[in-house]
Amino acid sequence: MTFAEAAEQHLDDVYGYLTWFTGDRAAAEELAAETFERALRLWHRFDPARGSARTWLCQLARTVALDHFRSERRRTRREELAATPERVDERFADSLSPDLEAALRALTAGEREVVALRVLLDLDAGTAARVLGISPTNCTTRLNRALRKLEEALHVAA
Amino acid sequence: MSQRDVLTELRTARVEAPAPLRARVRLIAAQAPAPKRSRRRFALVLVPVVAAAVAAGVFFSTRTSSPQPIVLHGYAANSGSVRTLAPAPSAKRAQRYGASLQLQVRNVQKVVSEALRITASLSGFAASVHIDTSTQHGSATLTLRIPRTHVQTAVARLSRLGTVTGEQVDIQDAQAGLNTTDRLIARLERELKTAPKDQAALLTARIKALQRQRAATVRAVHFATVHLSVATPPHAVKKHHHYLRDALPWVGGAGAVLILLLALRGLAALREARLLSRF
Repeated sequence: MTFAEAAEQHLDDVYGYLTWFTGDRAAAEELAAETFERALRLWHRFDPARGSARTWLCQLARTVALDHFRSERRRTRREELAATPERVDERFADSLSPDLEAALRALTAGEREVVALRVLLDLDAGTAARVLGISPTNCTTRLNRALRKLEEALHVAA
Repeated sequence: MSQRDVLTELRTARVEAPAPLRARVRLIAAQAPAPKRSRRRFALVLVPVVAAAVAAGVFFSTRTSSPQPIVLHGYAANSGSVRTLAPAPSAKRAQRYGASLQLQVRNVQKVVSEALRITASLSGFAASVHIDTSTQHGSATLTLRIPRTHVQTAVARLSRLGTVTGEQVDIQDAQAGLNTTDRLIARLERELKTAPKDQAALLTARIKALQRQRAATVRAVHFATVHLSVATPPHAVKKHHHYLRDALPWVGGAGAVLILLLALRGLAALREARLLSRF
């Protein structure tokens, strides 16, 4: 598989993952582009025997997103008092109900990313755990916790 | 709404990358060079294989060579074959013949008995026998006197009793000394015929002393001396014990590094979890 094929095939997955992870479509767009730029530089390191290109790209996207979170935290610390909150595109996906969108928004980034990997990208527990750098059991626990939160939030909303 | 309903609704969600992003990524992908991983992959395979081969070579050479003694000049080591260093003694000249043989055996007492039987069958005798079975490794030292004419056969038969770990042969010519003594005795006997009575007694005593010395030399060279040392091989368990003891500092060091790495990873995971909980 060439880099161009991998990029074409998995762009939606990477973008979707980043959208749910960051909760910000504009940021996800920037991060997805940065992910593929970085992937191009590191493509020689990709080994198909160790995992699929999708998994590898998601791992890379996660690293890029974590870097983004760190810089974002530094920025918010600097501008904590003066800055007005940025307007973000709050929709995770077009087909979701407003209640579920709000419930997803209430989750932490860590919980959203596990939902994105397991449900949106439909990765199995082992692969998702590899992307997150945790054990499959831990990954399943996180997913269950996130789903329970969503369920509770939707129950309250109803 | 149950968890099942939540999952069903989440699964219907499709997120598609916007067209500008797709165009941007296609532009990035267009810069991708042709893949050249074959050499790297070959190196990745070759390096561990070569390293493993070298490590195995070092390991096995160390293991097999450790029970072997240091082969010194004049020593030969072979694995129980009958080929020995011992040359045939000269039939015409008197020689002091000494041989030393080190054997590695399983049963010391049995080998000692067999060595004594071989010695007796060749008209020889044991000058000294020392057997030590007080320690974990049995050992014995025998000094055998064997007629010089049979010494080569004796060494060959003794070599078959175990694994030869060392062999030394020492031959000194005694014929020149005997010839000198013979010439001296002949000269003294000629002088005795013409000597006055007061000197005759002295000459006679000296001739007899020389004759005794000659006889002693002839008796001495008739028998070859064979020193035989037998011992059981070092116990395998003890060797493993040494390996473990030697490896202990390395294992401890590696364990400390591992614990440090795990602690660092845990710390990183903690920081990451804290970061993610804020967004």
